[in-house]
Amino acid sequence: MTTDKNLILRLEKLARLQLSDTEREEIGGDLDKILAMVDKLQEIDTENVEPLTYINEEVNVLRADAIKNQTDRAAALRNAPDTDGTYFKVPKVIER
Amino acid sequence: MAKQKYETVIGLETHIQLGTASKAFCGDDARFGGEPNTHISTVSLGHPGTLPVLNRKQIDYALRLSVALGAEVNLTNYFDRKNYFYTDLPKGYQITQDRCPISVGGFVPILLSDGTVKKVRLHHIHMEEDAGKSVHDVFEMHSGVDLNRAGVPLVEVVSEPDLRSAEEVDLFMNALRRLVRWLEISDGNMEQGSMRCDCNVSIRPQGSEELFARCEVKNMNSMRFARRAIEFETQRQIDIVESGGRVRQQTLQFDKNTGSTSPLRDKEDAHDYRYFPDPDLPPVVISAEELARVKAEMPALPWELYERFTTKFGLSAYDATILTEEKTIAFLFLDLTEKHQDYKACANLIINQVRPHLAENETNAVPDFPVQRWAELLDLVKENKVSNSVAKQKLFPAIWEKSDTPVAKLAEKMNLLQDSDADFLADLAEEILAKYPDKVAAYRKGKKGLLGFFMGELMKASKGKANPQEGNAVLREKLGG
Repeated sequence: MTTDKNLILRLEKLARLQLSDTEREEIGGDLDKILAMVDKLQEIDTENVEPLTYINEEVNVLRADAIKNQTDRAAALRNAPDTDGTYFKVPKVIER
Repeated sequence: MAKQKYETVIGLETHIQLGTASKAFCGDDARFGGEPNTHISTVSLGHPGTLPVLNRKQIDYALRLSVALGAEVNLTNYFDRKNYFYTDLPKGYQITQDRCPISVGGFVPILLSDGTVKKVRLHHIHMEEDAGKSVHDVFEMHSGVDLNRAGVPLVEVVSEPDLRSAEEVDLFMNALRRLVRWLEISDGNMEQGSMRCDCNVSIRPQGSEELFARCEVKNMNSMRFARRAIEFETQRQIDIVESGGRVRQQTLQFDKNTGSTSPLRDKEDAHDYRYFPDPDLPPVVISAEELARVKAEMPALPWELYERFTTKFGLSAYDATILTEEKTIAFLFLDLTEKHQDYKACANLIINQVRPHLAENETNAVPDFPVQRWAELLDLVKENKVSNSVAKQKLFPAIWEKSDTPVAKLAEKMNLLQDSDADFLADLAEEILAKYPDKVAAYRKGKKGLLGFFMGELMKASKGKANPQEGNAVLREKLGG
């Protein structure tokens, strides 16, 4: 693999993942292939070509300012890994 | 001493929560203060497969603010994702405008204590959504997450580094707060988090034009704390430089208990937000007509009225400041001046009577009667038909109750019209003097203090309706001296 190990460590941190060395090796290989494909695409001359951000031409999809479609708390908390019935409970995070 | 050698340079990023009924991208209740996790939906919870749809009002409100501040509006708006992981951010990204903010430039005028106006330039204004709230004091081993605030619409007003002191920051924040309330786009309530700011603080030698490494103090939600944080941070940076060190670019938090700032993170581990366009939200194109409508509907702004009140109307800075604090008050005053041209009298009535009356009781809503009645009241005082104190204590409250009666009629009905009919006063005065010949003699021998006694009798005899000045004159004349 040619992908820098530091890059993988940084991506792990950003993605909140912890990989084993074997996984890092594998991911590194995958990343090499992905980057090679992107490099290939870079060869195309895109000067004067607008980036295609949206695949349809819809604009101004807006809604009126009205309260609706709220979920009740019990239903919302049903999927929570941990709750007291009021809050989503998460591992203690220090106030940022 | 050391402090004078340096100049503090401050730029602000102010987050303002827009006063919409529902959230930015879904129909959850956007109001502050619901029970935790009751203003939520599958969209604000970030459930897979849900899609955001933009609230029309967020655009409208952001446009109003941009136009009021004289910013250049971007007619085509895109939204981007700002990616980071935190427990109160269910989607793993915040929807914001990174590439193309709703407006660029503009300025907030602030009135400095020396009476000059400083224009604090703006870098840009962009739209975004708020995150949820983490609470750390409910559980011992856990943090609690409340997502009521997640997805509430915000605008972020980013200033240029034009501010030079904590006082100027104070003035800037107050000017913005007054403006958003004036435009009716936010309640501007700092205690409830409707307005909060990040302060970028750096110092430089006096006279230098260079910008030095700055520190960002995050999330100031009270003016008092912002002031203390800036003062602390300025001194901290001066101490570093004075002792031969270099200020490092850092993100700081302010501890309100110690009054000091401490590092949250260094520039080296600054977040990598990996912004990219949000494909879920199609572009928003603002038409020229819509922009023209917002401009046409823009009310006269507080600083414009301040200027008009102090120059054209000749009011003091103090009066003009109070009159332009709130739009309701300012426009009641303006309406009144259309009907009564003694501007100072109009200002006094609005400031000393209307304002306290409205503030006294929240149910004292703005009157539905025309300010015509107040103008009539001022006319009566000016024509000496009622005294100032009667106008204030009796007639003013009565108008509120019986607004359909013209004030002159009301005063007559309540028997409050002053008697300045000369014959009537002369007759009364003679009666009184005839009643007290010994006192009249004493007066004529030099006991001039007795005039007060005669005045009192005259007021009594007229049941308080005698015009004091005229009564006084008549008595003096009859007493001969």
